[in-house]
Amino acid sequence: MRLSRRTRLAGVALVAAASLTLAACGGDSGDDSSSSDQVITVDGSEPQNPLVPSSTNETGGGNVIDELYAGLVAYKADGSTVNEVADSIESEDNKTWTVKLKDWEFSDGSKVTADSFVKAWSYGAFIDNAQLNAYFYYPIAGTNDEGNSETPELSGLKVVDEKTFTITLKQAEADFPARLGYSAFFPLPDAAFGSDGKVTKEFGENPITNGPYKMDGEGAWEHDTQIRLVPNEKYDGERKPENGGLTFKFYTDLDAAYTDVQAGNLDVLKTVPDSALTTFESDENVQPVSEPGSVFQSFTIPQSMPGFGSDEEGKLRRQAISLAINREEITDKIFNGTRTPAKDFSSPLMPGFNEDIEGSEVLSFDPEKAKQLWAQADEIKKFNGKFQIGYNGDGGHQAWVDAVSNQLKNNLGIQASGKSYPTFDELRKDVTDRTIKIAFRTGWQPDYPSIYNYLAPVYGTGAGSNDGDYSNKQFDDLINQAAGAQDEDERYKLYSDAQAVLMQDLPAIPTWYTNIAAASAKGVNNVEFNWQNLPEYHKLTK
Amino acid sequence: MWWYVGKRLLQTIPVILGATFIIYALVFLRPGDPIAGLFGEKPVNEGVKEQIEAQYNLDKPFLVQWLLFLKGAVTLDFGNSYTGRPVIDLVSQAFPVTITLALMALAIEMVLGIVAGTIAGLRRGGLFDSTMLVTSLIVIAVPIFVFGFVLQLIFGVKLGWVDPTVGGDWSVSKLILPAFVLGLVSFAYVLRLTRTSVAENLSTDHVRTARAKGLTQRQVVKNHVLRNSLIPVVTFLGVDLGALMAGAVVTESIFNIPGVGNLAYNAIKRGENPTVVSVVTIMVLVYVLASLLVDLLYAWLDPRIRYA
Repeated sequence: MRLSRRTRLAGVALVAAASLTLAACGGDSGDDSSSSDQVITVDGSEPQNPLVPSSTNETGGGNVIDELYAGLVAYKADGSTVNEVADSIESEDNKTWTVKLKDWEFSDGSKVTADSFVKAWSYGAFIDNAQLNAYFYYPIAGTNDEGNSETPELSGLKVVDEKTFTITLKQAEADFPARLGYSAFFPLPDAAFGSDGKVTKEFGENPITNGPYKMDGEGAWEHDTQIRLVPNEKYDGERKPENGGLTFKFYTDLDAAYTDVQAGNLDVLKTVPDSALTTFESDENVQPVSEPGSVFQSFTIPQSMPGFGSDEEGKLRRQAISLAINREEITDKIFNGTRTPAKDFSSPLMPGFNEDIEGSEVLSFDPEKAKQLWAQADEIKKFNGKFQIGYNGDGGHQAWVDAVSNQLKNNLGIQASGKSYPTFDELRKDVTDRTIKIAFRTGWQPDYPSIYNYLAPVYGTGAGSNDGDYSNKQFDDLINQAAGAQDEDERYKLYSDAQAVLMQDLPAIPTWYTNIAAASAKGVNNVEFNWQNLPEYHKLTK
Repeated sequence: MWWYVGKRLLQTIPVILGATFIIYALVFLRPGDPIAGLFGEKPVNEGVKEQIEAQYNLDKPFLVQWLLFLKGAVTLDFGNSYTGRPVIDLVSQAFPVTITLALMALAIEMVLGIVAGTIAGLRRGGLFDSTMLVTSLIVIAVPIFVFGFVLQLIFGVKLGWVDPTVGGDWSVSKLILPAFVLGLVSFAYVLRLTRTSVAENLSTDHVRTARAKGLTQRQVVKNHVLRNSLIPVVTFLGVDLGALMAGAVVTESIFNIPGVGNLAYNAIKRGENPTVVSVVTIMVLVYVLASLLVDLLYAWLDPRIRYA
């Protein structure tokens, strides 16, 4: 599972469509020694679900699906979007969107029509189909807060003609098209559905797709071993493969994968194991990649926690906690520079990122001020409890949780410690049942490249991933305004304003961004990472 | 003898019932919510969750779940994993490689251990004996993953003699290094057991008699010393086969072998009852059958032992 045990930030980490760049249209220029028919091997893990976009929410399957399918839009490496299957996506009120499609075919020659999208999304949202990715349909009219619809036809979608359909949203959202490159919004061919209207097992094993790659025939998915993809000659988008195919080799242990890169048996490893973090940049046997990434890490302090409510006392304590953490020291000493101290609630890779948000000094290290604020809070009401941070013990979090606890202990003079849950789902159960009464580790990997995605689903009142039950009307208003703002700069400013509110309230304490730490074998070219912390698979050559 | 075998086989039924019950109870008692885990940090609709739970019988009481599992198991239907694949497929794919690996490890430790142990036992106090004692002590003291990583680095990466990892398309030749690593600790035990046993038997009456009859050293060792010395070794090896299979998880993850250890480990993490219980049930079967085989071997090694 991406879930590749230690990399999982959110347990089930998220997937989104791979990106493309304009350079890709130019063909393969500038590569002297590389050949375009070489198959590239990359690390992966056994998909936990059929290769159907709406039922795959973990990266083992998600990374493969992103290369197999093409959505209405595609993401470039820098996170900007371009139309892929869509010819145009337009709206007058940001609420009803009209989508017109290009001429496009699935790998078996059948046409990609408005129906291919509408049927696939309706299938994904329909409650009886119990699809793991249903959540992503929640902005569309006719779904509930979890993105499920009660009827087999999703009422927010209307087919106009073969190449046109409309999407009606619950509320206006200027940024909506940016969501459409995510895998839940990929189309399915008619061949996917059996006579009972369900996606067939055979299709999930060996899907017919419309993306840059297709399955390498029957049996291309060798369970627990690998999945072989070959370029789809019907594909005419901007992610044209520059290699002769991709093989996702499955590893249950990153150390084994790293060894294979060293020995030249694996071309690209997207996450270097902890054991190699200190050495991989000077390892002669590999080509290292180390750059900022898009994963935001934090720990959430639930609003219900005694002493940390939404009143003045709670705010003071939250700020004191944040100021008492020396992020530089931890990212340096514990993570060997593979994390970058957080400056906001999103990621430096997002369009519109601002590192000087009002009030962001609260993320710096200032033990004096921290002590002072804590004392002020104690004047309002004495704090006798213990500050604990819950984390899943199977994700490699103990080291930093212990370090943070020690810093809180030393700098604030309070009792602080970590609390380990053996597995991720045990932690999540306590969190979703709201039985957790201590702070807990949280993280966010964007579903699509927008700061909105880091804020609204996580801190909006009653939002799906608002695990701490934070609620602030001012924040909600700002984020809603941002959603409706046509102008890009205005939108970015509203994101910053909304984050300034969060800097005051600190529903979660931002800690750091996870960097990309990857390695490729000698002789592999064009290893470029995108906003999703994934290599641009279609560009790899050797 | 056949009556004895039949009786032993019948005994496996309550053993398996008990084992599945205990494992089922343990996985059931594990806290957490595997279905919520499937959805990651995204919210789940209650209706969807109940639907998935019903599919895996997770909505039913513990005893009913266990009985339903047993009912299916009788017809070799072990249910589906949470990823929707039949458990029987997962198991039948993972077992061959693990069995091969375990048997290879067993063969390596048996041949090397018995030969080296016999030589050491015959020349007690000599240079070879001392070297072997120290070597085996080191092997037992150092954790297995240290040997795994070091040998992988030396032979796989630096020298490039073998593939550093095995992967899904495994073959016997690729498994030699992992099997060696897996069998290493047991090799040390077999060596020490054989050595002590041989040394003891050298001073028994029947060996002195054999020597007095004028038999060659070779005949004495082969027929009179070794055969008697093997009883404790065989006991150890029989139990060890099970231990090698169940304990292969470390070796399997170092060398990326998609075997039973990895399967069980991942299933436990996900709280996937059907897979965990099926794997363990088969492990129990292996243990039971291996110990039966050991008991039968006793009679062949030592004619004084008879089964009626």
